Amino acid sequence: MSADHKARPLLALAVAVGLLALFAVPRLTGNEYVLALGVSFATMSVLAGGLNLVYGYTGLLSFAQVGFFGIGGYTAALMVTDHGWPLWAGAMAGGGLATLVGIVIGYSSLRLSRHAFAIVSLSFALLCMIVARDWVDVTRGAMGIPGLLPPAMDLPGGLRWRIAQPADFYWLLLGFAVVAHALIYVVVTSRLGRAMRAIKLNEPLAQSQGLNPVAYKLLAIALSALLAGIVGGLFVFYLTIVDPSIFDFYYTETMLIMVIIGGPGSFWGVLASSAVLTVVPDLLRFTTDLRMVLYGLVLILAMLLFPGGLGGWLHRRRVARWRRPRPGGA
Amino acid sequence: MDLTFLAQLLLNGIVIGVIYALVAMGLSLIFGVLEIVNFAHGEFYMLGAMLAYFLTAQWGFGYWPAIVIVVAAAAALGYVLYEALLASLRGEGFERSILLTLGLSMVLQNGALYLFTTTPKMAGTSLSYSNVVVGELRLPLARLFALGLGLAAFGALYLILHRTRIGKAMRGVSQNRSAALMVGIDPRAVSRLAVAIGIGLSGLAGAALAPVYAVHPLMGFSFVFKAFAIIIIGGLGNISGAAIAAVLLGVLESVVTGFLPLVMADALAFVAMILVLLVRPQGLFGRGVRV
Amino acid sequence: MTALLQVRGLTKRYLGLTAVDDLSYEVEAGTIVGLIGPNGSGKSTSIDCISGFQPADGGRWSLDGVDLTGLGPHRIARAGLTRSFQTVRAYDELTLLENMGVAAQENDGIGWLQALLRGGTLRRADAAARARGRDLLATVGLADYAEAPAAVLSYGQRKLLAIAAAMMARPRLVVLDEPVAGVNPTMIRRIEAVIRKLNAEGVALLIVEHNVDFIMSLCSRVIVLEAGARIADGPPGLIRSDPRVLAAYLGKSSAAATAARHG
Repeated sequence: MSADHKARPLLALAVAVGLLALFAVPRLTGNEYVLALGVSFATMSVLAGGLNLVYGYTGLLSFAQVGFFGIGGYTAALMVTDHGWPLWAGAMAGGGLATLVGIVIGYSSLRLSRHAFAIVSLSFALLCMIVARDWVDVTRGAMGIPGLLPPAMDLPGGLRWRIAQPADFYWLLLGFAVVAHALIYVVVTSRLGRAMRAIKLNEPLAQSQGLNPVAYKLLAIALSALLAGIVGGLFVFYLTIVDPSIFDFYYTETMLIMVIIGGPGSFWGVLASSAVLTVVPDLLRFTTDLRMVLYGLVLILAMLLFPGGLGGWLHRRRVARWRRPRPGGA
Repeated sequence: MDLTFLAQLLLNGIVIGVIYALVAMGLSLIFGVLEIVNFAHGEFYMLGAMLAYFLTAQWGFGYWPAIVIVVAAAAALGYVLYEALLASLRGEGFERSILLTLGLSMVLQNGALYLFTTTPKMAGTSLSYSNVVVGELRLPLARLFALGLGLAAFGALYLILHRTRIGKAMRGVSQNRSAALMVGIDPRAVSRLAVAIGIGLSGLAGAALAPVYAVHPLMGFSFVFKAFAIIIIGGLGNISGAAIAAVLLGVLESVVTGFLPLVMADALAFVAMILVLLVRPQGLFGRGVRV
Repeated sequence: MTALLQVRGLTKRYLGLTAVDDLSYEVEAGTIVGLIGPNGSGKSTSIDCISGFQPADGGRWSLDGVDLTGLGPHRIARAGLTRSFQTVRAYDELTLLENMGVAAQENDGIGWLQALLRGGTLRRADAAARARGRDLLATVGLADYAEAPAAVLSYGQRKLLAIAAAMMARPRLVVLDEPVAGVNPTMIRRIEAVIRKLNAEGVALLIVEHNVDFIMSLCSRVIVLEAGARIADGPPGLIRSDPRVLAAYLGKSSAAATAARHG
């Protein structure tokens, strides 16, 4: 515990400095490429963080995240363009609908085996794409809803913020990402997060101690859906269009790699890997195809050699430290 | 109602259903014997079609030799795959197998995209444009051959599973792994063969359909999810259940396409799967492994 | 005085085999009761049923008057009945203190919102849980490992941790499933001492075991099962020479000889 207590103020300082630097970026450079990377990092890190909550902490392998992402996007687009809602309300509506859908799907499939749950979550994501492509009356079909212009956002204090420049989107998405990660952090460092880990580590033991696994799993799913839905609602305005490609498997593959490399169950690890995996592949100028081949290879190698990820390696180190011979005997 | 139209739809449905069955049975076999959900399964269907295309359209092989080559290559690939990747998994942690096969699927799919681009290719053979006419029904020869191949594969699989020692061993492992191991069945040999057969079936399906539909790197992707839905509907690990569910789905899809917009047909597999899971989670035909 | 745990007519069938057959028994508050019987007699199955891990095909059971029949395992735990497992279970990646914390968290009245808002109530509850956790770890002799991940423990130490964790939520009854199986004699004595200490605090214990000597020296009452049914129920002295019990364990002819020797 003493090491943790020493580290905590240091950590807080590092986070504060880091955030300050991140938010200052648009003032330091007008380079749109950098700003686009920032938006990408903010969005993908929220998706990966939610997946980490469901899979890394609670142990539920789920492919449904991208479904919540797209539902948020479509809902926000429709609410804003067809009904004149403010952007934040549209995004919240997106998050709300995604949460509802997540709870319904979760509740009905959690009693299935883990194999079936994984397949159902996958089919859900696929169904979302099919519905988006074919329910033309609502979603405008394969063409999607283009020309999304974000309305100005009313800030407290009577200010109006016209979100039009890349810098604006950078601040918007980054700002939300900070809120989202803060929320995830509060949950995973609380006894709720500890309960999720317990359920992942040994569900029957947790049940015998009074924990209700379904409740905690639903909590993880609901929270991840809420955050994915809201960020989706904001992201589609950055893209200025929402179409069925918002449900692309590419998002699922990318967020999975971020979680696997960062270490399932490691909050900071996944945050770090989100950053690295947003910036590095772009720097290396890989085409999407090659990037995916590389991700696939990384996934294969990780599963063969490091099934526990970074977190598992850290855990083994802790165990080894305790097992060293100690004076006085056990 | 136009009976000829309906009969045409039924026939098309049976053909596609048989092909679905080949893919689904392979997937089911691999799951039953190894407890692995093979995410990369669709890619072997795609590779089978790709190879068939190149053999017939680019390198001048005949249709039948191409089929034989594809099946042999696919089975061999399955064998190698098992030894290199899957053997080490050994049933420990099923997330690992899903993620590993997902990684494999990413490599194969995107590798194919990189090498061949998304332009669809037509594996035009001498059969592509001839039809057999029975009464008022037109049966494209290519589809008939696909049907024939599928049925032949069914027969071969049945014989293997029920008449050979190792086939019976596969069924044993699939129904009760620990009991099978206790009576001395070698899990590696059985698993290896299961993967080889499963991948072989998938490749065969791809080659059989190459003359019928366009061939492109993403064709396996949409296929495999339907295969997942099919094995859930039929019952996880239940091979004959998968076959029946597959044919039923094929027919249903075909009939629906004739009367309703295309969207319904595509979503049918998943809606059916969800219904089955809600009402009868162990699948229509059930199995040893609990769903 | 009504008993703490009342089991009436418990029945469990597996595909034609009756594993537990119309079983009825009681456990008085604050006592240590043993549950023994030859292999396949239904001991573990019956406690899997009353702790909610297996659905029963018939019968009812209650704790302190509260009907537990058909409830899920987490509801039964919250009602005051906790257990340990034959396959010794622990949260390997969590520290021992964290293990203890999890065991207590559903029983200190802190809701989810309170857990997130991190107010004074939560801090007090967490502090109380930590204190109780350290206390119990000290009782079982694992205080030195409080900050160690549970993975470092030996098999016997894991059993001690499991017993300590089962006590965290202040249960009325703790069911132990083979607490000394596969453990060396020194550790057996240690576990026995721990159980006595915990019982002195007022907790009732129901112990399923194969080690008959262990049961006889520890328990004030012993219930014997055979083929899913109760064949004997009484103080250890009586059970030791009960001909039906001997017959169940030793076979009929040896039973008669043994009875003659001890009679």
